[in-house]
Amino acid sequence: MGIETILTSCGMCYVGCGIQVKVENGVAVSIQGDPNNPQNRGNICAKGQAGLMNLYNPHRIKTPLKRTNPQKGLYVDPGWQEISWDEALGTIASKLKAIQDNPKQLYIQGWEITGDSHLWLHAFASAFGTPHYSSNGSPTCGKVIHPVEFFAAGGFHQQPDLHHCNYCILVGTQFAIAARASFNHIIRDMADARARGMKLVVVDPIGGFAGSKADQWVPIRPGTDTAFALSMLHVLLNELGIYDAEFLKHKTNAPYLVGPKGLYARDPSSGKPLILDAADQKTKVYDDPTLSDPAIVGAGEAGRPAFALLKEHVAKYPPEKTEEITTIPPATLRQLAKEFGEAASIGSTTVIDGVKLPYRPACVDWAKGPQGHKHGFHQSWPLKLLNIVMGAVSVPGGILSTGAAGKKPFRWFPEGGTDGMLEKGGNILPLPHPKAFPGRTPTKPVRNDLAELFPLAPHYHTLLPITAENHARYGLDYGLQVMLHTPTNSVLGSFGDLNVVERFYRSIPFIAGFAVEINETNLFDDIVLPFPSYLERFDFNAGTSSRQLGPCGQDDWFWQIRQPVVELAPGLRHPQEVLMELAERVGIRDDWYRLLNHTFRLKEPYALEPGHRYRADEVVDRTAQGWFGEDHGLSWFQEHGVIRFPKDVDEVYIGPFLKARLPIYLEHFLQRGEELKEVTSQMGLDWDFSDYTPLSEWLPCPSYNAVQKGDYDLIAVHYKFPYVYGAFGNDNPWINELCEQTDAYSILVNEQVAKRKGIADGDEVWLESPVRKVRAKAKLTQCIHPQVVGIGGHFGHWAPGMPIARGKGLNFNSLLPTDLEHIDKISTALDHCVEVRIYK
Amino acid sequence: MTNLSVEESMRGQTIDVRIRFMGDLRAVVESADLKLSLPQGTSVGDLLKSLAERFGDPFAKWLFTGSGELHHHILIFVNGENVRDIGGLTAELGAQDDRVELIMLPMFEGG
Repeated sequence: MGIETILTSCGMCYVGCGIQVKVENGVAVSIQGDPNNPQNRGNICAKGQAGLMNLYNPHRIKTPLKRTNPQKGLYVDPGWQEISWDEALGTIASKLKAIQDNPKQLYIQGWEITGDSHLWLHAFASAFGTPHYSSNGSPTCGKVIHPVEFFAAGGFHQQPDLHHCNYCILVGTQFAIAARASFNHIIRDMADARARGMKLVVVDPIGGFAGSKADQWVPIRPGTDTAFALSMLHVLLNELGIYDAEFLKHKTNAPYLVGPKGLYARDPSSGKPLILDAADQKTKVYDDPTLSDPAIVGAGEAGRPAFALLKEHVAKYPPEKTEEITTIPPATLRQLAKEFGEAASIGSTTVIDGVKLPYRPACVDWAKGPQGHKHGFHQSWPLKLLNIVMGAVSVPGGILSTGAAGKKPFRWFPEGGTDGMLEKGGNILPLPHPKAFPGRTPTKPVRNDLAELFPLAPHYHTLLPITAENHARYGLDYGLQVMLHTPTNSVLGSFGDLNVVERFYRSIPFIAGFAVEINETNLFDDIVLPFPSYLERFDFNAGTSSRQLGPCGQDDWFWQIRQPVVELAPGLRHPQEVLMELAERVGIRDDWYRLLNHTFRLKEPYALEPGHRYRADEVVDRTAQGWFGEDHGLSWFQEHGVIRFPKDVDEVYIGPFLKARLPIYLEHFLQRGEELKEVTSQMGLDWDFSDYTPLSEWLPCPSYNAVQKGDYDLIAVHYKFPYVYGAFGNDNPWINELCEQTDAYSILVNEQVAKRKGIADGDEVWLESPVRKVRAKAKLTQCIHPQVVGIGGHFGHWAPGMPIARGKGLNFNSLLPTDLEHIDKISTALDHCVEVRIYK
Repeated sequence: MTNLSVEESMRGQTIDVRIRFMGDLRAVVESADLKLSLPQGTSVGDLLKSLAERFGDPFAKWLFTGSGELHHHILIFVNGENVRDIGGLTAELGAQDDRVELIMLPMFEGG
């Protein structure tokens, strides 16, 4: 066998870096970054290098198991018994067939983003006929950013343009320092940007990894991002008068006239929104070819421009008032707003590859932090507005949108729609993107996740444990009967309060899932199917960096595949082949193929044909040839690892080429809210409509109120480590060593606060939320807001299959109350700040 | 919309269409398949409107936006071809035994 180096894709997180794996006599011995892969340019992180230890984890599951103990619970031994694949798949198929006449009783937890399973299960759910498919793992992450990004920029996620940005504000994210997509690419861009003088400001309750690299760390009270953003907007628009008027006039709905009820004034015959043309003082429809100078201030007979309303609205949030909410001093806020506004260089242009473009080298970036609140949508949206009013969207130096546009091997680009607004997001795959504009019309729910009552949300799994408590309360006459899941540890990672989660999982009579090792979710399984390591697998879809979350800026577009570097361990099967057999046994294979062909754009002669069963490598080969030509099948990728194409300027900076307007005023929120009121009223549901407003208001989280009332004195928040992604690798000895050496298993407490409580560094303390009381080790630091406790990672395991991770650190989600009161009524995000107290 | 006239049916100017529901629509309709006789010249758009009337809420609202546009999560195949490639909603269901697959896909998310 000898020594060889094999090119493949990392699977230790959702990114998917290009890697070179050295294999000696059939044993993988080292992992390095592939310097030819534009995603990571040779870089590899600690998680990636530690992947070897996941491959050779002695606790991996390598044969199907069935439970013999009918009792289920968080701490109940399932009494595993090894069984054959035939028995395992036969049992699962029989359970699926039993609900085939009413297939909505199936729930598929499909988050396995490192490879193909995610998309294959997506198609499986549709072919089977269930709406209950969860395409994400977290109860917060992605719930706001994706819908906002698609209607306000065109792509899947956002990234500051580190190649040109001079002033970058990070709010509740450790972008390019400890987290985010294309991580091993953007950390180098971030280092380069800082070296050339970009000012980095981090607004975050915790001055952690990002704060330590920042020029300025601004501690903020959790759940007050709305107030911060609205105050920034007030200073920019009303005190400094800095905004990109030309951009707002011609590329947003800022000039759309709004009537007294908050709705657009519309042309009676066409129904189109009206604009006042300041040039001739005539009211015209938004797309009138004679429109030359849309008014964004003042008033017309039909109404007032949306921008005028925004200016007036944000005036309610002067820094002196918001200091009481955010704790950010007015002088600091004004300093940030002034620097940000000036750095945006409104009116300036630059030339890239011969194309003249607006140049706005300042932006605000946000991600998980602002999303994870009871009013998560409105905690996040005004942060996006800061970029929009500066004209700093999808132009050099501003905020860019990932995966929004491309030309090879297909063409995709965002498009306008209703009322001339951006409506159709750009997506390389022909799958429906998360869409919050114009939204759906609410109806009485059929779904267990109440999707019908969240007309602006893209997914809804956080509602499942809540409705499972009382289906009838929501007009549902059934519960979930069968669950299929990926190796993702959804019990610890996808919901909150463990008592509620336990009742939910116990309410599902049959659960089957894949497992790398037996984690806490697998403890509820009736059947366990072993899942191969990424170093043993074929995947056409090898991480998210090519598809939706690649590096923005002028770097090559690329595609990579995943190939095994070692032989599949005896007893294991490729997950694609397992699902294929299951689909065949259930009788949905040909429908499923139709959807897979659609998902992967497979046409003759590469389309999957009815009646055939394929090997995983055959599917990857057909798809690669279908996308890149017959000379670029699997064998080409096995030799070269990655295919890359230079991007044109209009793929990178799509703003000037986008034929649609961006929103600053969310008129459709009013419409959907009114429709929803009618439905919930018919159902007799008490519902909170305070978020159905076109202009954001700051509204407190329950934790804010609890602290104000004095019931609790601290708020716990979650943060990320660069060497931990979800529970991937928590049982990895190298990652564990990193965590131990860096005190990652401790909770962060403000030093002065701790001293007042008589708590010393390293002390064992009680940490108590409304739903859980646990022991924790305190790490004292000055780099945390005094009202905050910081809990990092995704720890707190107890599953017997994870002996290294067992008993270390805390599971943050388990502290979170999980009920309708803690769900964002727009995005379905679960509130991720929770009132706590600590004591010895 | 084309009227489903009894007169036309009696004259034999109808086609048989087999409709298969997948994704969320399957859950709403509570049936995997439906067979309909429709007037010749019926378009895909006509068929959808007819189905929306037949099944009412929430089927119609999952299918169409408030302004009557087809939602982006709806995928339609006619005899195996995506209707977007054969004329969209104006495509006619011309042949006997047309097979229509009506699918509502989950939005593709992340996080």
